[in-house]
Amino acid sequence: MGPKKHQQQQKKGPAPGEEVEETLQAVVLADSFETRFTPFTLERPRCLLPLANIPLIEYTFEFLANAGVADIFVYCGAHTDQVEEYIRNSKWTHSSSPFTRLDIIRSTSHSVGDAMRDLDHRDIITGDFLIVSGDVVSNLPLEEAIAKHRARRAADKNAIMTMILREAGGAHRTKAQGVTPVFVVDPTKDRCLHYEEMRRGQEDRYLHIEPELMSGHSELEVRQDLIDCHIDICTPDVLALWTDSFDYESPRKHFLHGVLKDYELNGKTIHTHIIDDHYAARVQDLHAYDAVSKDIVSRWAYPLCPDSNLLRGQSYRLQRGNIYKEDGVVLARSSVVKRSTILGQGSSIGDGSEVGKSIIGRRCQIGKNVIIEGSHIWDDAVVGDGTVVRHAVIANEAVVGKNCRVEPGALISYGVRIADGIKVSGISRITRCKRKRDADDALVSVPSEPEIVGPGGEGYDYEESDDEDIDEDERAMSSGLIYNMANLAVSDSSISTMTSEISEEPPQRMRSAASSFATTTSEDANEDEFHHDAASSIYDSLQRGDTSDVIQLEMMGLRMSNNASDHQMRRAMAAAFTKHIHNLVESGSANVSQAVPRVFKDHKDLITRTIFDRNQEEKVDQVDFLLLMQRDLIGKSKGDSILLFTAKELYDLEVIEEESFDQWWNDERSSADPEMRKIRSQTEQFVEWLANAEEDSSEEEDSEEDDE
Amino acid sequence: MPSPTIVASPGLSSFLKSLKSTPVEASIEHLISLLKRRQIRNSRPCAVATAQLLLRVVSAFRWTDVSRLIERIQLVGQRLQAAQPRELSIGNIVRRILGLVREEAEEDRDADASALSEPGTDSQPGTPRISGVRPPLSSSISTLSPLRHGAIEPLDPTVAEPDTAKFVADSAQRPPLLTSHTSYAASATAPMATSMFSLLSHPETPSSTATPSGTQSPSGRPTSATQAVFASLTQKDLRPEVIGGIEEIIDELDQVDEQIAGYALDHIHSNEIILTHTSSMTVQKFLLTAARKRKFTVVHAEAYPNDHEATHATVTGKMVNENQDELSSEAFQKPLTAAGITVILIPDSAVFALMSRVNKVILGTHAVLANGGLVAAAGTRAIAKAAKTHKTPVVVVSGVYKLSPVYPFDFESLIEFGDVSKVFSYEDGDLVEKVDVENPLFDYVPAELVDLYITNLGGHAPSYLYRIVADHYRVEDINI
Repeated sequence: MGPKKHQQQQKKGPAPGEEVEETLQAVVLADSFETRFTPFTLERPRCLLPLANIPLIEYTFEFLANAGVADIFVYCGAHTDQVEEYIRNSKWTHSSSPFTRLDIIRSTSHSVGDAMRDLDHRDIITGDFLIVSGDVVSNLPLEEAIAKHRARRAADKNAIMTMILREAGGAHRTKAQGVTPVFVVDPTKDRCLHYEEMRRGQEDRYLHIEPELMSGHSELEVRQDLIDCHIDICTPDVLALWTDSFDYESPRKHFLHGVLKDYELNGKTIHTHIIDDHYAARVQDLHAYDAVSKDIVSRWAYPLCPDSNLLRGQSYRLQRGNIYKEDGVVLARSSVVKRSTILGQGSSIGDGSEVGKSIIGRRCQIGKNVIIEGSHIWDDAVVGDGTVVRHAVIANEAVVGKNCRVEPGALISYGVRIADGIKVSGISRITRCKRKRDADDALVSVPSEPEIVGPGGEGYDYEESDDEDIDEDERAMSSGLIYNMANLAVSDSSISTMTSEISEEPPQRMRSAASSFATTTSEDANEDEFHHDAASSIYDSLQRGDTSDVIQLEMMGLRMSNNASDHQMRRAMAAAFTKHIHNLVESGSANVSQAVPRVFKDHKDLITRTIFDRNQEEKVDQVDFLLLMQRDLIGKSKGDSILLFTAKELYDLEVIEEESFDQWWNDERSSADPEMRKIRSQTEQFVEWLANAEEDSSEEEDSEEDDE
Repeated sequence: MPSPTIVASPGLSSFLKSLKSTPVEASIEHLISLLKRRQIRNSRPCAVATAQLLLRVVSAFRWTDVSRLIERIQLVGQRLQAAQPRELSIGNIVRRILGLVREEAEEDRDADASALSEPGTDSQPGTPRISGVRPPLSSSISTLSPLRHGAIEPLDPTVAEPDTAKFVADSAQRPPLLTSHTSYAASATAPMATSMFSLLSHPETPSSTATPSGTQSPSGRPTSATQAVFASLTQKDLRPEVIGGIEEIIDELDQVDEQIAGYALDHIHSNEIILTHTSSMTVQKFLLTAARKRKFTVVHAEAYPNDHEATHATVTGKMVNENQDELSSEAFQKPLTAAGITVILIPDSAVFALMSRVNKVILGTHAVLANGGLVAAAGTRAIAKAAKTHKTPVVVVSGVYKLSPVYPFDFESLIEFGDVSKVFSYEDGDLVEKVDVENPLFDYVPAELVDLYITNLGGHAPSYLYRIVADHYRVEDINI
């Protein structure tokens, strides 16, 4: 029966007066700024990957429509064009859309924090709003949570945010696997007091709770049984907080943790709304992808079920045993479709094949005597006769030959062709594409690896080390790593190659290039991350022609947030400067003798501020900087002459003192290997000249003294 | 009707509110998405939304030819029905409105014909009408699904009736056939003798009680007859008639519970023990009406897990939230206990044990099918079966709008499977992984388990429903 009554009451109850008219806005973070779905996300954005044959973002929009949201702002990172095109053609931009406004915001943000700060600058949020990620699957009506949030806000302006959390007991397939969020909650006020993330495999399993929390609250609950589906009801103050804390990146680890920690400082409180009914989950990685798919098939997320045919043109029907079949499925008489299976339109299954607990897209061709179990097969895929596929993902238009074995955990990306009789191992992630490092989203096809895909096959084993596995055992090992991977915004494999490829764009695509990442510890990664961020940031600023002050300010922020050392600062600076100069020279806009002075003259201050050994005997910092410059110039065309002019310019600008050059020249690190020696060869004359000048000057001094 | 336990902000009320301001096409899409999202669910809200939407469609649609209008309604109806094929009331309303348009068109044509020729000759209106019916009829027979046969047979005599010229008077000829929808209001104002035997008199009742509607059509006829002279204007005359017809249907949806409740005293006697199930508003009103005059006992099965909360609320009288769409007075309805009735709440599993003491089972339903079978809240079948075993009469109260011409060949496809978490808590991760849980919202109850239907037209035996189907739906509309 109609919920009208209820709704009226709802509206009248908690929000009297003006608030009834307040429209609800929502921000969808369509990009997760993570790489947990590679290799699929190389070609498609995560939010368009099909979950139970419906693109992920549809679920989010359904959820928002269900909640009665009016305005939506979608933040995209990678593959914005695809997302934009999809949304433009979807029912959500149609005149009948429940949303009055659906904007796609292009931004260069490379973290949630950036997106939030960008949002704050845009000034489009007028009242309370929702932040959800573009992968939320939920059938939760939000009225109650919103009503509570508004009531709290009316009572206390500092109650800035309400998080929606779903209870999920101890072990649960839909819970985040790699990392366990721990919430410390005051149940009497529904207030979240402390937040921490525990990683699997983490050494210490301790929670650090401030003693004041214990004394200040009569009741505390420490909960780690919650599914955090990243649905937040926020006030505009939240955005301001994001802007204030420019170093926050992730909404939980940084923002939530930080705001709770700074309670004494700014007095803002964050609340929780813990639900024990309805469905709410987030598809944060492939494991969750699998789990949420299962939940949808077994109708936990009702009415978000295949047979609701949420997408236009779908025609699923439910049959006993949670088998969903669309019209036009061709099943051979002797084929068997087992429980919990979805079959898309136009798919055919050959004689003697068995399909169970799987999701098969549209127009798939499954041959004879095939066994498919627990797998996700997306549209237009072909599985040859006699092949066995277990717990794998086969993406659109991929072809698996006859008599193959696809082992649990294998990921076969778009358009890959596997030849007949090949065994695809459970850890392989086969794709055809690779992301080009320095261009925008450009994909390069990579030569096939016949030993993986067989003769005549297409594709290669994607070489990233963060294995994303559906298989349980593998996962136990790998999930910790996955977590690191996703949150640490990994940079390149080594710093020396860095210089040539500081990307103009945020580092998502840089991460994919990390081939030796598995071995880096988290601190290294942290360092790398800082270096990468800092270098690219300086470089961008140089390109734009920002003043030193601006760059300096930016650097301070980055530096504070990462607790970076002076050495790291110099390293980043050196990398950025060399790259910038190199670019200037390469592009032909200036020759070396012009480019170098131009750059350094403007940004002299930047360098001086990283050097603190002016009055010391040992010029460690200056030498360090020179060494870094030297190293960065290795392999650059005209690197040697750039170094020469740099040295001269730095000397002229009195950034680097004579003694430092001397010390640098004599430092064994600067002549450690032939490349280093080669680079500095041209500078030799300068150093000699310097040495002479020094002597001269000292002689002059001497003579002056003599004169006296 | 079982009330929804999921309450979401967009729903019937917001849809109806937006209906006036949004363009028609957008409203259609809006309703479709609400249906898909199950934000409008259960028979009556679906029926109301469909009727209101089609009212908009008809009033906004510019047509020159009636067949265009029919096509348009068919198209909209198909889309709505496809959005939620298990809400049969959507299709019922669409069919009713289609039938209405066809009737008006035929009437109009008749009027033309009779105006052009000498009015009053009965052969003239007969032939054009049939020629008007036949072409779509034959075409629809070609695409006929087997379910059609159940309805065709009964309809044939009615089509044949005018030909046999039993009713010679031309004014009396049409009302029983054509304006059967208008007769409910009439039959409500003057309830007919309601025993099962009186059913036999049903074919006559419209003509006897149809005088109000009869007066309506003659009043329309002279105007149309005069306008027939201006042949171009006759088409436009249809619109208000159709809209009037749709509004009558909407009124009927409003009043249906009261009309059904009007028969309560005929079926509930003093000191009886009545068993019921779910929080159906129709049943509650039925019982309340009887409670004004008589004392009896109600045994209420709680309909766990989909409707038990609403049922508890019904029993305790706190059904403020889970309530009706437009009739706010119902929100403050007194519980049965306030009327001095003893109410015993039992779990569904206790039904069989108690059945031996029960005098009568009164059930609400989600839909009634052409063969007399029911699609009703899960658990109903068990109750009906238990009643059968104990030879307890089973009475189903249902508005005519729930009566569908669909024949349940594949009744499993009519059963909606709902939210699993109502059965089993999602928190238990281990079992979620290992156990398949199912939560069917509906049961199919075969016709032989039901003894009597009480609709707003009166009481009917299950075997007689085909006749009401034939009265309400046109053969050519059975497949929308």
